Amino acid sequence: MKVTVALFAYLSAFQPDGLGGRAPRTFDLAEGTAIAEVIASLGLPDQPRIVFVNGRHAEETVALSEADRLAIFPPVAGG
Amino acid sequence: MGELLRIDMSDLSVTREPVPTEWHKYSGRALTDAIIYRDVPADTDPLGPANELVFSPGVLAGTNAPNGGRLSIGAKSPLTGGIKESNSGGQAAHGLARIGISALVISRMPEDPAARYMITIEADGSVKFDRVDEWAGVGNYDLAAAIKKLRPEDDRYSTITNGPAGEMLSRASGIAVSDPKGYPNRFAGRGGLGAVMGSKGVKAIVISDKGLSSVEHADKEEFVAATRRFAEGIKSHPVSGQGLPMYGTNVLMNILSEAGGLPTRNFSAGTFESADDIGGERQRDIILERGGNVSHGCQTGCVIKCSRYWVDAEGEYVTKGPEYETAWSMGADCGIKDLDQIAALDRAAGDLGLDTIEMGAALAVVMDSGKLAFGDAEGALAMLKSGLSGDGDGRLLWDGAEAIGTKLGVEHLPVVKHQAMPAYDPRSVQGIGVTYATTTQGADHTAGYTITSNILGVGGSVDPLSPEGQVVLSRNLQIATAMLDSLGLCIFVAFPVLDLPEVFTAIHEMMTAHTGEKWDAADLMQLGREVLTMERLFNEGAGFTAADDRLPGWMKTAELPPHNVVFTVTDADLDSVYDFVPETAKEMGLQ
Repeated sequence: MKVTVALFAYLSAFQPDGLGGRAPRTFDLAEGTAIAEVIASLGLPDQPRIVFVNGRHAEETVALSEADRLAIFPPVAGG
Repeated sequence: MGELLRIDMSDLSVTREPVPTEWHKYSGRALTDAIIYRDVPADTDPLGPANELVFSPGVLAGTNAPNGGRLSIGAKSPLTGGIKESNSGGQAAHGLARIGISALVISRMPEDPAARYMITIEADGSVKFDRVDEWAGVGNYDLAAAIKKLRPEDDRYSTITNGPAGEMLSRASGIAVSDPKGYPNRFAGRGGLGAVMGSKGVKAIVISDKGLSSVEHADKEEFVAATRRFAEGIKSHPVSGQGLPMYGTNVLMNILSEAGGLPTRNFSAGTFESADDIGGERQRDIILERGGNVSHGCQTGCVIKCSRYWVDAEGEYVTKGPEYETAWSMGADCGIKDLDQIAALDRAAGDLGLDTIEMGAALAVVMDSGKLAFGDAEGALAMLKSGLSGDGDGRLLWDGAEAIGTKLGVEHLPVVKHQAMPAYDPRSVQGIGVTYATTTQGADHTAGYTITSNILGVGGSVDPLSPEGQVVLSRNLQIATAMLDSLGLCIFVAFPVLDLPEVFTAIHEMMTAHTGEKWDAADLMQLGREVLTMERLFNEGAGFTAADDRLPGWMKTAELPPHNVVFTVTDADLDSVYDFVPETAKEMGLQ
């Protein structure tokens, strides 16, 4: 299945094509791949993350579906 | 505690008195509220002689407490018609505290409306008045330069200045406070307090604390130990220790757009297609390319250092930040996708002395009317500056989004208690909707910043798209924020406070060691409740009712893409947020 993955702030460095940047990339994944598996394969640092699937917060145990957009942020904030 | 310094602008008389004993636990927002509540009739004309403009540093100002130098400015607001505390960074709070001033109260007004005064408070506490009528209409930046020429070369001073917008009594005008480099770029933006300052003929306040040392503590050893624990806690939290120092507040642009909560083109959508072009990551990249500074504190003692300076293509200073709120209001809300254009709008607003949140929201409302096109940054800048002429739509813009939007017949006005909403759409971030509706301050995000749990997963997680849990979240944050604002602490310490119990403990340990009075967690929360109680009672006296604690009706029916949601927290739930007020008022002997 095809899923788009966007990584933000300093996580953008972990995009597998090594190009950085916040543009989403298309990943080809096995059906039912969980978010946690994608995170593990990207080698993201072990720290709190903010994870969205299609603009809604998602637990990392959730399985992705065809055409989902996965967006991951490190702990960020502002005002 | 220091003293109350009262200046009567009708005769330039100066009185000093010790802070009344019943207020010995009050500083910052608590003290500005207490003074306004006691002195100002709730139904008075905010631009008349009976309003007061009160400046108060927190009790931790002037010490080495990390992030303890915020300044509270209080008055009855000409924009909301209710009590206002407008909060700013910069150096002035440290200066006032070192001189020994707990509150500076500006009362009454000069007989001559053309009179302009500069008030100088020297390190020995003496107060001097200079007539500066020739500075009428001068922008904050030229004003800061003119003041610098008058000060001794080796002076250490800060400035609190009023731009032309405040002199012209604009309801969206704010008050500028100088940063450690002397730029007048920190801002008490919300609620039109520049107009109150203008009505009292005060163009500038200069505070010199040269040669003064830090304020003394009751128990210095314990204080130093507690500040160390506090600083370590702040630096250890990923938000205050990593995210904010690296990207500043504008890192929120992409995440709010992802969540569908970034108000775009006058609150018509929750995602902006160009969010990445104007967000904190891009901002940092560009500043670095141009050789600018990407991390500094807006006050000495800050260990977070979220601020940065925006520079032009030649590497010259333009403005600070821009902050997320400004990059949103002048960016996504206006359909503008270029940070240089946003920075130009920010610089112009700062120089004129206008609240960037209110101005961006107002310009977006103008764009919604068709008078300007969305994305027309040049037209927006021209209209913003045209207010200087004193008439027409440009001047009306300076009175805020509701004022210009009503005249132009725009249906979707994003305001509560006449004040424009900041950078979070309440339909898809329902917790902030509860804050916007119920806070005494008008639509305000810092008053109870539920983004922590609604979006960022700090202090727990509350689904932003559901009405569940939002009332408890907003109420608790409003109480905690009122407390932090009263200690002079930067609100960004809330991130580690919400996740790390030892950081909250360090706060009351610093308070106890510094003041010599016992402070515990319960005392701190009681302080927050007392502050909000004074504000609620004042607003009641000013004529506010439950009808004012509501979002605009269209936000309950107009669905916000991409989640296609409306605000669904019930009116009954909104009316329960302040349920602690009757009991607290009784405890305070106010009712």
